[in-house]
Amino acid sequence: MNSPNTSLSPSFARPPARVAIRRAASYDMDLLPILRETLREFDLPIQGKSVLLKVNFVCHDPFGAINTHPAVVIAAREAFLSLGAASVTIADGPGLERDIEAIAESMRLRDFIRSLSTSLVDLNTDDVHPVALKTRASTLKKLYLPATVLGADLVVSMPKMKTHHWSGVTLSLKNMFGIVPGSCYGWPKNILHWAGIANSILDINSAVRPHFAIVDGITGMEGNGPIQGSPKSCGLLILGNDPVAVDATCARVMGLRPERIDYLRRAGLLLGHLHEEKILQIGEKPEQVQTPFAVLDDFRHLSIGLKQN
Amino acid sequence: MTSNSSAERDSRSFRNTLLQLLIESQNSDGGWGYHRASQSATEPTAWTLCALYNENRGDGLSKQISLGKDWFLRNQLGDGSWPSFASQTEGCWVTSLACLALHEIAGDSDAVARGFEWLCQSWPRTPNFLQRLRQRLSSSGEVTRQNNSLAGWAWTTNTGSWVEPTSYTLIFMRRLSPKTLSPLAVKRKELAEAMLRDRMCPGGGWNSGNPLVYGVAGEPLVGPTVWALLALRDSGEIPQVRESLQWLEKSMPEIHGSVSVAIAHMCLEVYGRRVSAIDPHLQERFETDRFLNNISVTALAALELNPARNLFPRAAQEVAAL
Repeated sequence: MNSPNTSLSPSFARPPARVAIRRAASYDMDLLPILRETLREFDLPIQGKSVLLKVNFVCHDPFGAINTHPAVVIAAREAFLSLGAASVTIADGPGLERDIEAIAESMRLRDFIRSLSTSLVDLNTDDVHPVALKTRASTLKKLYLPATVLGADLVVSMPKMKTHHWSGVTLSLKNMFGIVPGSCYGWPKNILHWAGIANSILDINSAVRPHFAIVDGITGMEGNGPIQGSPKSCGLLILGNDPVAVDATCARVMGLRPERIDYLRRAGLLLGHLHEEKILQIGEKPEQVQTPFAVLDDFRHLSIGLKQN
Repeated sequence: MTSNSSAERDSRSFRNTLLQLLIESQNSDGGWGYHRASQSATEPTAWTLCALYNENRGDGLSKQISLGKDWFLRNQLGDGSWPSFASQTEGCWVTSLACLALHEIAGDSDAVARGFEWLCQSWPRTPNFLQRLRQRLSSSGEVTRQNNSLAGWAWTTNTGSWVEPTSYTLIFMRRLSPKTLSPLAVKRKELAEAMLRDRMCPGGGWNSGNPLVYGVAGEPLVGPTVWALLALRDSGEIPQVRESLQWLEKSMPEIHGSVSVAIAHMCLEVYGRRVSAIDPHLQERFETDRFLNNISVTALAALELNPARNLFPRAAQEVAAL
């Protein structure tokens, strides 16, 4: 697929990004119209394409604050299908829990889709192909990546809006860690930690550019995320055609300075837009919906410092 | 016919279904992929060979087993290790599973010896001085709590020790005669067992990450807990085993996924714990979603359902004093 954002080009040479912030009070409401109408505004080349929804399925999630919520995932799937996608695959390669069926069961994903075996792909056990990395942020040079991801026409990163105890936040760029297969690199994908989390985020997202991002910010996680933090209600869905701009917008909503988040600042040089003046906001403005997230002491310097309401 | 024998017949029939699926899923190169008709890979090939061989020592399955063995021999790398997929050129964590399966079906061999030597020579990476200092100076307090000097095995070369690859290697080493272990192998075994004891989550069980991060206890996971318990099966009376078995038993009703259910059940059987029949539960899951078409899961389920298995055998009675 020849999407304009697949090439690596310096930010000054890229067209402005578009990011939509939509209010969605809860997972019980009908999310399909919100997602479908917002996707329409982006005029993506969806017709007849294979779409891969790279969700964030981590582990058992009793409070709905860790994993991308199934209601959002299913609404996105329906939205892409209704806009003409030939197929929509839900996929992830969880980094800690090997048993993706257990995660899906604990999330009651089966309540939303009839057959897990035909709808859900475990990227940890997919066929793999070697991919030479386009950037040299880390020393990795090459990764084996899943055939399902490499074969998709449109890759959509669908993270949860969370803080992260190693990288500050985990959003659509960090979510792409999940395409690195455990069959080759283990659980956790420790090679990425040794290569540097920020460096690996940059190299992975240079190798496989998500064409679009949909962030589940209806309930996120603050504090000691991505697993051991506290649920944080924001009531938002954030969508966009530039994952860097989407993550920067999410950071602003979370009360954090994107330019102080190491991987995001560096991604803003080559992979997308970080600065507000280069992001065309659709719907709500970040300052209107800002909901400051608590962060660990190590990440206090990220905070914008606005008083919490 | 009694209900017991009827249940046994149903169980046998279900196991045969799984075995038939495994047989039909063998690739023409002799290996098995994670899914039918996918690239042959070391892990599913290892578990499938273990499941097939544990059926009457492979009687009637010699052709499939022989082809699988050849696949392993062809894909062993020059340094003695195995990669995850045949096309790869660097060995990793699956080497212990390849050794386990090859040893299971063919006993001691040059290939197993070379694989084991690679494992013994593969040391995990530990944080350097600057990394340790940075962790110590973290303003959020102690980042993780674990003794990195206790070396186990890594998922990939030049990375750190983790519970699961360490457990796989110890499980393989338990199949070897202690008399054949070199001083280096004995040292690695002792260090690895100490590493597992150190990495237990507070309250029992193991996870795939760190047992404690920023002072918060990690949640145990079924897989790492099962493999660590199987690795420590002969370690005698140690509190880590007792607490983790209790955690696993308590968690059993809440375990969801097919492979988690199968291996947790197998582990409790290995320790002689009373467990209710698992066959109907697994069968229902298989009929619903066919274990997500995962060959490794199918093989482990078939192995678990085999009452006469030699690998991870059921204990006749509860393992004493735990």
